[in-house]
Amino acid sequence: MSGPSFATALELGAGAVLVCAVLTMWRRSLAAIVRLLALQGVALAAVALVLGLHARDGVLVGVGAVVVVEKGVALPAVLLRVVARDTSSRETAPLVNVPASLVATGALTLLAFAVAGPVVALVPTVAGRLVPLGLATALIGIFAMAVRRRAVSQIVGLLLLDNGIALVAFLATGGFPLVVELGASLDVLLLVVVARVLGTRLHERFGVLDLDELRELHD
Amino acid sequence: MSALVRLGAAACVAVVQVLLVAGGGLLLLGVMRKTRSRCEGRVGPPVRQPLLDVVKLVSKQRIRPAAASPVFVAGPVVVAATAVLVTAVAPLVTSDPPLARSTDFFAVVLVLLLGSVSLALAALDTATPFGGMGASRATTIGALTEPALLAVVLALSVPARTSNLPALVREGIVDPRVVASPGRILALCAFLVVIVAETGRLPVDNPQTHLELTMIHEAMVLEYSGPDLALVTVGESARLALLLGIFVNLAVPWGVAPGRGAAELAVGSAVLVAKVAIAGIAIATFEVFTAKLRLFRLPEVLAGAFVLALLGVASTLVTR
Amino acid sequence: MNGSVLGLELVPGAAAAAAGALFPGRHRVHLAAGLTVVTCAVAAVAAGAVLRSGHGLVVRASGILPLTGARLDLVPVSAVFVATTAVVAIAACIYWPGYAHHGLSSRTASGVLPIFVTSMLVVAEAGDAVTFLVAWELMAVSSLVLVLADQAGREETRSAAQWYAVMTSAGAAAVVLAVVLVCAHAGALSFATVAARAGGADRLPGGTRDVVLVLALVGFGSKAGMVPLHVWLPKAHPEAPSPVSALMSGAMVNLGIYGIVLVADRLLGGAPSWWWAAVMALGAASALFGAVQASVTSDLKRLLAYSTTDNMGLVLLALGLSGLLATGHETDLAVLALVTALLLVVNHAAFKGCLFLAAGSIQVATGTRELDRLGGLVRRMPATTAVFVVAALAVAAVPPFNGFVGEWLLFESLLRAIESSGVVVAVVAVVAVAALALTGGVSVMAFVKAVGIGALGRPRSAGAAAAREVPRAMVVGAGLLAAACVVLGIAPMLVLPSLERAAASVLGGARPAVLHGGIDVALAGLDGVLAPAWIAVGLALAAAVVVAARDRIGSRRPPRRVAAAWSCGRELQTARMQYTATSFAEPLERVFDDVLRPDRDVTVSHSEESRYFVEKVAYRSTVGDVVETALYRPAVDAVRWWGRQARRLQNGSVHRYLAYALVALLALFVVLA
Repeated sequence: MSGPSFATALELGAGAVLVCAVLTMWRRSLAAIVRLLALQGVALAAVALVLGLHARDGVLVGVGAVVVVEKGVALPAVLLRVVARDTSSRETAPLVNVPASLVATGALTLLAFAVAGPVVALVPTVAGRLVPLGLATALIGIFAMAVRRRAVSQIVGLLLLDNGIALVAFLATGGFPLVVELGASLDVLLLVVVARVLGTRLHERFGVLDLDELRELHD
Repeated sequence: MSALVRLGAAACVAVVQVLLVAGGGLLLLGVMRKTRSRCEGRVGPPVRQPLLDVVKLVSKQRIRPAAASPVFVAGPVVVAATAVLVTAVAPLVTSDPPLARSTDFFAVVLVLLLGSVSLALAALDTATPFGGMGASRATTIGALTEPALLAVVLALSVPARTSNLPALVREGIVDPRVVASPGRILALCAFLVVIVAETGRLPVDNPQTHLELTMIHEAMVLEYSGPDLALVTVGESARLALLLGIFVNLAVPWGVAPGRGAAELAVGSAVLVAKVAIAGIAIATFEVFTAKLRLFRLPEVLAGAFVLALLGVASTLVTR
Repeated sequence: MNGSVLGLELVPGAAAAAAGALFPGRHRVHLAAGLTVVTCAVAAVAAGAVLRSGHGLVVRASGILPLTGARLDLVPVSAVFVATTAVVAIAACIYWPGYAHHGLSSRTASGVLPIFVTSMLVVAEAGDAVTFLVAWELMAVSSLVLVLADQAGREETRSAAQWYAVMTSAGAAAVVLAVVLVCAHAGALSFATVAARAGGADRLPGGTRDVVLVLALVGFGSKAGMVPLHVWLPKAHPEAPSPVSALMSGAMVNLGIYGIVLVADRLLGGAPSWWWAAVMALGAASALFGAVQASVTSDLKRLLAYSTTDNMGLVLLALGLSGLLATGHETDLAVLALVTALLLVVNHAAFKGCLFLAAGSIQVATGTRELDRLGGLVRRMPATTAVFVVAALAVAAVPPFNGFVGEWLLFESLLRAIESSGVVVAVVAVVAVAALALTGGVSVMAFVKAVGIGALGRPRSAGAAAAREVPRAMVVGAGLLAAACVVLGIAPMLVLPSLERAAASVLGGARPAVLHGGIDVALAGLDGVLAPAWIAVGLALAAAVVVAARDRIGSRRPPRRVAAAWSCGRELQTARMQYTATSFAEPLERVFDDVLRPDRDVTVSHSEESRYFVEKVAYRSTVGDVVETALYRPAVDAVRWWGRQARRLQNGSVHRYLAYALVALLALFVVLA
């Protein structure tokens, strides 16, 4: 892949990752949120593939393939099954209302641009300029975990964070080594499975997957 | 002499655009209604029905509610006049419209705002509960649409280094990569949401509702009749056509005439009509599958558009 | 022009004050107003000359103030503020005699109003620290007296005056400290000397400079109504008599902006970027907060007061941007941003002065300023309504009025700052555009409400129904400023080159070449222009075409008929069924619930026979000021607590008080020894 089209493709891929993250804050339906997450996984994989093809780096292409399977298909599938179980599968009343969290998302993005200057200066490539997008995605992930009530939304937040970090890694360093990526992926997968088990138990106990219910355990 | 010729050409362009948008806007409404009917399995009224309605309205008697003042009469005139003014100078058929240098996107937005404001004032002037209700709701939506729209203007203007509307359209023709840039795409997505909100389409407002309590825009114009109602209808449909025209020319700038020649104008008009019709059909099809949102869910939609446009600006910070 | 003309303006000012205070009979108001107009006219002519030539005027009068004498130094940037103040004051003085029966005819009021106007002029003209501070204090005290002039008996008025007194004294203390610190370091009192030394080797050390800057922001910011120091504004503006409100909002708050320019740009020769960023942040917060509060309040003058906070926020936004760009050595863009700030100040003076005067007329004619009790004024007082509508549309920033040009310039300066500066400035500018956009949308809501509920529809109270058009002088006074709104909206290039010269002289831009163009406003290096005159002409043409089309096609239709409005088939339709200001703003109030924290109370009482029948529903909703409840209440409570504690020290015994004095004296000796 050559100059301008490489840059455009990379921009579109990285941009799509961020837009998916923002859109997860927009939608209330958990199923839609998980589908957005899947889309984000695909976009992330596309970034890896584009980078890999550009650098003629077989490993990176391999990582891209792994990411597609894991983040684009496997994780969303697991989450969708959790969602399907939950009777009220909507994020009805997040701690911060939707317009405010959208504005906060915008602010976080701008903040990421403001603070990512040094990193961008370190990596003076086309990819390096896009690092703030990954940073913003990660920040949005943390924000989502902080303000959303549903267990699934929390996991989605975690995965947003993970995807953001992965995007920064791809863009800044040309990606983790394959082993690290595989290890991290397995970790996340394990975590999601654990969360799912926990969620199932929560569901059996309280009937909904609302983390505020956990407070009752404390009493 | 040549100055006179140029002036004539400019006037021609303005007249062509105004006639196209005023008449075409009504037909666009007809096309959208037809699309909706067909999707729902009905035959629906003919495409030219809105045009016939307006022709009928023009010859009817004018009725003024007892409490109304001249503001009530001025409302439709200002709505139509702002739409006509912007249409005359917007890059619709050609990217070299009259007064091209002064067709500023920011100014366009605020001129159209003048129309919305005057209609809201006219509605309050009727002294009816429905007028107040419509004005209150429409102004609230407007207050939230305005920021999104200005953010869109910003997102489009930053990479182009100007907020001049014809320049924005020309930029897309000269360099197709601009059209595919993430900033432009995000901004245009937000613009589409804004157009839907601004022109009162689903899911923001149901243009076909006949229940006073759910009306927004229709509640504002409930008291108008005869030629005044015709003006409102023409003005509002022209706004829809105009905004969609600007949208399609920014999203798909190809086919916009580069100059003011007669042949160019003919081709440009045909392409514009086709593009806007496609956009209208797409929106109408989308409307079939959407329900009207609750009023208090609207901030979510508009905040979404606002943030999308801001992301568009942010992405231009990256790619510059 | 000779500098002594400046000193000359003080003569009619003093004469006006004396005439107002001493002249017997009902003509003292006319005399005082006339002499004040002369003062303002002289000041305006001098300011105009300075703005046109770009050269300052200096006058020294050693006799006026003890020890140092007074020094007036009219540089271009202060000329902008002098001219603005003078024009607003002329309009207010034309208006004054008509309003005089509502609290402004007493000897005190007619003596103090000229002092207030003159002191504002002197604040902007002052050439040394002492003159500046004396005028500043005089302005604060005289405005306080005037706030109380109308209804000193009312609880609200007294409370407003108390708030104003406390805020303005605290602000003045900060201003005195800041100015004294700067001048003490420079070792000179004359602003020109201090400014000349600011760039040299002996500039203020970092720490002191930061203290000065923070003090200046607090002192001048509170005068400009900046959040969170704005709390006096929505209290004092509504309670003051309307010409005074117009002067306070149209002229006095501007001087807060002038103070910031004076200290940061002129005396210190620039400020660090964190401070400018803080100015921008506070400006954005003020703009948003003011706009949202204005859109939900139902008191007409309170709405205007909050809108003042909103507009001053936008000025601070532009001012901060200018400073930020100047520290980044983008002088051209900095000049553009400062021009924007100055234009916003001028615009604000025109439309807000006009709105307060018109609101005063409405209050005089109807006896209320509560929007929920107004309505139907367009037929009863058409001239005042027309003036009010023009100014309201100008604030709402729709063309072809002046607010529109100001917002366009602000948008373009922010746009160009994003394009050509570093990432941090760009991000700040994006946030600023977001704030500007939100503010714009919300303030449109506020002014549609003010006009639509206040002036249109049917009268909602007997007072509004009995309204009569006010005397011609009052209409002319407000109309003068409305005309300024239209002229500045159609031909902004009448003033923009002067403002550019003033801005360039402050920032040291060598060639003021940011703006050019004859009728259109063109910016250097920008592909497009703004053509406000063409927009106005185009709108008029388009309206003519539309009306012609409406009347020409179908010209054989029957004549117009007046009929009852549709009300779902009911016959009766009363004024009480209309939307009120409260219900109009309710959707927006719900949207901004988290910011406004309104206090809503719905009580439904049921009929005794069955609870399925509702007897009556009482709905009460009050929107306070969040900043006041969250920030000031605790402070006020703490002060009260301390006050109660201190009361224990007092038991009324003279002996105990003498003992306190003795102890204090002894302690002093011990400390000093």
